[in-house]
Amino acid sequence: MGSLFRSEEMNLAQLYLQSDSAYHCLGELGELGLVQFRDLNPDVNAFNRRYVNEVRRCDEMERRLRYLNKEIAKADLKVLEDAEEPDVPLPSDMLELEGQFEKLEAEIREINSNQERLNRNCLELTELKHIIRQTVNFFAEAEQAFTAGVHFSMGEEAALLEDARNHGSQLGFMAGVISRERIQAFERVMWRACRGNVFMRHEPIDVELTDPVSGEPIDKNVFIIFHQGDQLRSRVRKICDGFRATIYPCPETAAERREILMGVSTRIEDLSTILSQTSDHRYRVLHAIGQNIRGWSTKVAKMKAIYHTLNLFDVDVAQQCLVGECWCPLADLDSIQYALQTGHERSGSSVQPILHLMKTPLNPPTYNKV
Amino acid sequence: KSISELARLTASAIQVLCSLERSPEVVNMASSDMLFNVDNGYLEGLVRGFRGGILAQTDYLNLTQCETLEDLKLHLQSTDYGNFLQNEAGPLTVAVVDDKLREKLVTEFTYFRNHSLPPLSQFFDFITYGYMIDNIILLITGTLHNRSISELLPKCHPLGQFEELGSLGIAQTAKDLYNAVLVDTPLALFFQECVSEQDLDELHIEIIRNTLYKAYLEAFFEFCQSIGGSTADMMLPILQFEADRRAFNITINSFGTELGKDDRAKLFPRCGRLYPDGLSRLAKADDYEQVRQVAECYAEYAQLFDGAGTGPGEKTLEDRFFEYEVKLNMNAFMNQFHFGVFYAYVKLKEQECRNIVWISECIAQQNRSKIDNYVPIF
Repeated sequence: MGSLFRSEEMNLAQLYLQSDSAYHCLGELGELGLVQFRDLNPDVNAFNRRYVNEVRRCDEMERRLRYLNKEIAKADLKVLEDAEEPDVPLPSDMLELEGQFEKLEAEIREINSNQERLNRNCLELTELKHIIRQTVNFFAEAEQAFTAGVHFSMGEEAALLEDARNHGSQLGFMAGVISRERIQAFERVMWRACRGNVFMRHEPIDVELTDPVSGEPIDKNVFIIFHQGDQLRSRVRKICDGFRATIYPCPETAAERREILMGVSTRIEDLSTILSQTSDHRYRVLHAIGQNIRGWSTKVAKMKAIYHTLNLFDVDVAQQCLVGECWCPLADLDSIQYALQTGHERSGSSVQPILHLMKTPLNPPTYNKV
Repeated sequence: KSISELARLTASAIQVLCSLERSPEVVNMASSDMLFNVDNGYLEGLVRGFRGGILAQTDYLNLTQCETLEDLKLHLQSTDYGNFLQNEAGPLTVAVVDDKLREKLVTEFTYFRNHSLPPLSQFFDFITYGYMIDNIILLITGTLHNRSISELLPKCHPLGQFEELGSLGIAQTAKDLYNAVLVDTPLALFFQECVSEQDLDELHIEIIRNTLYKAYLEAFFEFCQSIGGSTADMMLPILQFEADRRAFNITINSFGTELGKDDRAKLFPRCGRLYPDGLSRLAKADDYEQVRQVAECYAEYAQLFDGAGTGPGEKTLEDRFFEYEVKLNMNAFMNQFHFGVFYAYVKLKEQECRNIVWISECIAQQNRSKIDNYVPIF
């Protein structure tokens, strides 16, 4: 018969299944894993096949499960392997599973968007804190240099500072944050566009910041630009928009700065507590999902495979019976018949499935039993 | 004694080869047959593999039979596109399909660019300059119509991105544009002829676009000429057709506008087959008939103008130009060891994206009358 060097003897069989029992019989045959079906509809397009809607629904469920899997991986949770493989789900289960996945996906998406919003707020506040700190430093250094009257480059700043205090609204400044990789081009364009009439200073932010959307660490720099006049101000603002730098309103006097710094620190603390609560909740929800997700994925995969195989069948004109052709090993015919019988009983339909062997000149596929 | 002789000979041969590698004449030789595969063999193999995945006529026939965009997605799953729409939540729209198609092409192009060595990397950069020009014009026009930068930036083509792109909104005149922004980009060289004090308005922007593109095409033409070998043989006809096509389009589009004939003549790229006689006659043309007469003198172009029109059952001139371009690009794959395959692949993939988007639009709007107006590639 068969051995590792020769294929088992294969036979082409024709399978007649009633539409009701078709799903269950194929489910049983799938668990056995002993038959290979031929495509009886090679000319039909993928989207014209009979069970294409069911396949689409399985696709949609798989997409939701992929999304949930990705979220679980992001939260560094380990997914449990089920002790045993779940059985083939019934076609009526599909509705229930779909509803469940939809609900879970919506819940996770909502939690994620909330968390993103909180993260964004937190990031803005942190950036504002750094800006205020840096401007405090800038102005303090300038003060020092002014009173000491020593350093030349500091002297420029000091002179500007004097101007800012004397002329009031004429000399303005703008403070903001820009990502580190863009700072070079930003400086160059600023210098060219304003014909060197602005003074700019920038410092890197040492603390690591995380991007709220992607969750990846990003490096940013604080910059402060002194400019004179309205035209230059609008120009500077346009360039900042173009380079996607965020501008923060920065107070002029030192007292205001201290006040805002304190307010910002308290708000950051509040936000951190809320954030930790949100991430806890998210962790718990994902943990609950992670218990079942393997089982669900297997069920959906099995369902999709059954519908794919059903698409290979030829539909009888009266729409009552499905005709299929499959290759099966001669030695296992009994188990195949038994599987068909089980499927028929499980479905509770009236017509017995019929398997009958055919003579054919086609070459059978190779099957090595391991 | 013979072994040491052999060793000495081998050593000197290696020395000669190494010195050849350094010498400038060898850039030409390296890009043709013998040493091409050393630097570029992997990428050429890869691009030929990708070319095999370009949709064929059977795919287009299947796509035109789709009833909804979901069917389209199902069919594309069996092609090289695979599961590119797999993770899209919500109802499928044509815009989403367009974005994803383009994303795939951009990923492939970026891979090629990152793995290439000069002169192939310079070749890829030249391809991106065209997209940069389109992006710049898009942004300037958008700013003119008071759209915000954040609204316009996502519409830019990803292959034409450069760092200073976002700050184009500040420019009021062409000179501003050059001095402030473009001088640091690779496009600075092409901008020499455009610098003027005139304010940017609709007509002027079009003039800038065409002048930039003319300088770019001529520079690209020279670059391919300098590479020589099969690259020059394959790329020059393609670039010549591009130049002539632009000349025809500029002429036809300028009828009834304020563009004077001298200005028009300055916009024609000079690297095509129409230079110099055809271009001078085009500059003097007043209507479509005269343009057609100019085209009659050149065999291929006469064929394109023949039977082109806007009536039912006739193809428009633009469609014909696309078809001819596709034909030239397909021919690029018939030769080996040249860079034209990369250019042709990018252009053919773009045409494929246009085709799929056209079919999707017809399906989405339930108007199947013109669904067969795509340009078949294979």
